[in-house]
Amino acid sequence: RGAPAADPERIQRLRSLMVNAGPEQAAAEGGAARRRRAPRNVLTRMPLHEGSPLGELHRCVRDGVKINVHIRTFKGLRGVCTGFLVAFDKFWNMALTDVDETYRKPVLGKAFYVEPQLTLTRLFDRLKLQESSVKKGADSKTVSEELVPTNDSQTLGWKAGSGRGRAEDERERQKRLSRAGEKKMPGDSLHVATRGEADVGSGTAHTEGASAGGTQARSQSRRKKRPKVDYQQVFTRHINQIFIRGENVLLVHLAH
Amino acid sequence: MEVSHSVKERTIAENSLVILLQGLRDHVTTVELRDESTASGRVTNVDAFMNVRLAEVTFTDRQGTVCHLDELFVTGRNVRYVHIPDDVDIRATIEQQLQAIHRVRYFGGRDKGRKEFPRAKH
Repeated sequence: RGAPAADPERIQRLRSLMVNAGPEQAAAEGGAARRRRAPRNVLTRMPLHEGSPLGELHRCVRDGVKINVHIRTFKGLRGVCTGFLVAFDKFWNMALTDVDETYRKPVLGKAFYVEPQLTLTRLFDRLKLQESSVKKGADSKTVSEELVPTNDSQTLGWKAGSGRGRAEDERERQKRLSRAGEKKMPGDSLHVATRGEADVGSGTAHTEGASAGGTQARSQSRRKKRPKVDYQQVFTRHINQIFIRGENVLLVHLAH
Repeated sequence: MEVSHSVKERTIAENSLVILLQGLRDHVTTVELRDESTASGRVTNVDAFMNVRLAEVTFTDRQGTVCHLDELFVTGRNVRYVHIPDDVDIRATIEQQLQAIHRVRYFGGRDKGRKEFPRAKH
């Protein structure tokens, strides 16, 4: 019930002016009363956040800036959606267009506790690794792992250095390699990934190259004894239009 | 265009992007849930809290088991993504829904009927 909101002020204004030009003022205001109620809906609210982070989002809508939305899983990063923002609201619900999503299913069970935190760098390293493995002609069901001890230093500054994230992502995607699913869950300092539980299928069908590139492996490769389903597989897919519920958004990164 | 009968739900929907989902009524889409399961089917109803009702659903649970259901109700909080069909124009759908609400709200003309936002009398 927002209509009465402006009226006390209006009445006061009228009262203060009554000596001078009360009657015509009242008439003019009376006419405006019907139009005064400017429509307040999700679309009109979008530009209202000027000066705040949501105002930045509105700028993305207006100027067609490509954004990267980091999506969260119950704990930590699930993946990134990159696309163009069409609409948003105060809950950070977003409607995106032309979306490429790069993500990984969450690791559950025992492995969860030993998993290092998933960061964007690791995600894309992993993706890169996968692509290079596929290119080498490895059977898609039994991805050959290139396990390497986690080089934590490279990803330590991830959250802190998110400013560098954008340009770095692309660069890292192009040139870096050979990390087998080291993923860190934020908030726990747990280390070194291994196999996940059997509840995540290995949908290799979704994997496709998001970025091609050379494959300089810095790590030793170790063939698995038996074909093991890869639970740390990174998937990418393209979706034309998607709606994201705001509570799953970790952060939004604007591409210049 | 079926608008919710509840004033509260109408205003919540009007001021958030749920209205876009409400415009997807009778479209076939995929809803991805928080727990990594997916449900593909025809959207019957979406309320202001993003609770989604689907019909003729192919439900893939997070283990990958596929099953077919006649009806599925997903709690709003469990929604992660809703795929929007390509033939849906986001902006236009939102505006159509807003107009539907506007029509319902101002039904019966200016001086008749129960008013959602009563004009102050002064």
